[in-house]
Amino acid sequence: MFAGAFMMGAKDRLLPPVIPFRFFASAVLFHVAGWAVLAWGAQDVPGFQGGGGAVVAALHLVTLGVLAMTAMGAAYQMLPVATRRQLGPAWACSLSWWLFNPGIVALGLGLGTGWSLVLEVGAGLCVAALALFGLLVARNLARVDDLPAVTWPAWVAMASLAAVLVLAVVLVVDMDVGLLTDRPALAATHALLAGYGFMGMLVVGFSAVLVPMFVLSKPVDDAQGKKVAAVAALALLVAVSGTLGRVFWLQALGCVLGLGAVGLYVVMQRRVLASRMRKKLEPFFRLLKAGWALQVLSLAAALALALGAPADRLAPLWGWLLVFGWLLSFATGILQRIMPFLASMHSGAKGGKPVLLSHLTHQRLLDLHAAAHGAALALMMAAIVLDQPLLARLAAVSGLAGALAFGGFAAVLMTRYRAHERSS
Amino acid sequence: MVGVVDLSSRPVQDSPPAWLASALEVPSLDVRAALAQGEDPLGLLMEAADRVDFGGFFVVDAPFNPSPLRRILAARGFSSYGRCLGAGHWRVYFHLNGAADWEHDSEVELLEEGAMVWREEDGLHVDVRKLRPPYPMVAILRLIDSSPEMARLVVHHERMPQYLLPELAERGWGVVRVTEEFQDVRLWLERGA
Repeated sequence: MFAGAFMMGAKDRLLPPVIPFRFFASAVLFHVAGWAVLAWGAQDVPGFQGGGGAVVAALHLVTLGVLAMTAMGAAYQMLPVATRRQLGPAWACSLSWWLFNPGIVALGLGLGTGWSLVLEVGAGLCVAALALFGLLVARNLARVDDLPAVTWPAWVAMASLAAVLVLAVVLVVDMDVGLLTDRPALAATHALLAGYGFMGMLVVGFSAVLVPMFVLSKPVDDAQGKKVAAVAALALLVAVSGTLGRVFWLQALGCVLGLGAVGLYVVMQRRVLASRMRKKLEPFFRLLKAGWALQVLSLAAALALALGAPADRLAPLWGWLLVFGWLLSFATGILQRIMPFLASMHSGAKGGKPVLLSHLTHQRLLDLHAAAHGAALALMMAAIVLDQPLLARLAAVSGLAGALAFGGFAAVLMTRYRAHERSS
Repeated sequence: MVGVVDLSSRPVQDSPPAWLASALEVPSLDVRAALAQGEDPLGLLMEAADRVDFGGFFVVDAPFNPSPLRRILAARGFSSYGRCLGAGHWRVYFHLNGAADWEHDSEVELLEEGAMVWREEDGLHVDVRKLRPPYPMVAILRLIDSSPEMARLVVHHERMPQYLLPELAERGWGVVRVTEEFQDVRLWLERGA
């Protein structure tokens, strides 16, 4: 009975469970919505070069609705415990959720239909939510001086987020006003900063906290963590300069530096895994490993693009590998581990026995998700390379099936968690 | 490594003094190298002791239990608590409090994560304070996993280890009692709780 009782008196108290679980529930729903919209517009994925429509709407439902939503829920919950500093008032965390959800829906609708007013309202709400998130995280990080393996990549992520938000506003305003002379260069900069800068560096920071905890290993080495963040920051600066100025050798140099940062990151993670106490890696790790491999492929595709390879095939392949291959695989892998973990931790808050992680996890649904997600990734890569719209639709339908299985896993988890809460 | 340490053979110890929690943060003055070279570090140690204000601390790493030094400093108002961290390595914590509880010793086992283990009347104790996450969790779970016959473990932590709870539950362990002092959150863990 004491597990919950002592948690209620904790000085470094966790947020109420409803806050992170709201974010995770939204991520699960936007995961389904993103794949469904992509299935609708899948024929446009091969040869996709930007612009509006269902593909861009689906892309933002996934990047904002799943990736950023998961990152926000996880950061609000884990960062104050990892850094041992308060993150911010619970109402501010809740407010960011209330702003973000309607913002994503409106933005997706605006991008899909071209309704500029809806798009502007959606963009405004999303920018407000993410700016609030950035302020809360930066406030927390500013008080920390002893966790460089976490704080350095997190600072790079927050700086990237600030730039991403400014670029997003400029891009949305440009749709009405037409002020940009080179809109594709700005859109590409927005994409690379959002993917590699904001989300990518959060992945590095979260990995430093979560991977050692889940595999029960020694912590990430601080010096290595700093190196990864420094090389990645340099790679981002060089790649952004090259993209904005259309200097292709700078873009290529940015990709090479990015590959160097990934190499350092992989070495760091391998050292963590080599020292682990939990010898058998849990199933969620297959998604993390797949994500890491596809991250390397995404940078290789970007390098080929910078070196002049044809953009009609490689540009959509690069975007696919970056967002759906690396980041979505990583996010769903972390979500399927962190959701039952936090539910177990919060269970028994009224004094009961914590519910077992193994009881909360419906592994078959997760296996189904992993298989369907993997099939979707492979099919879409083939569809892009072979320019096959039908294959692209099949890929998106497979992804949708995986997202529904993931939704089933989340529903079972919450049902079992609530049943446990009622009985305790 | 816990796996090669017979923890059941540990002699029963007294509980460490409450002030130890604050002393754990103080960097130690290591005189082992000086002694190995035949130098007498007493002057250095006395200078360090002179710099301590009332209520303050200093910490010494020595190759043996420096009983003469502890008695000299007790006469100056220092309480001390010594821990044998291994062959040829003692760490002694000094606290200038009027020598209210001037000398305690403890034979402790140092785990590879840096956690210290000793035995008291109420069972095995592990001190994971000041360890970097996830070492506290790893040390506690390693102890539990490596001793199937162990039924109770007392943990000295500096905060509430929330992330430990799901792992404990999965192993059939639970928290049965908690006390909270400044920088000393003590948890009594039991199998089957």
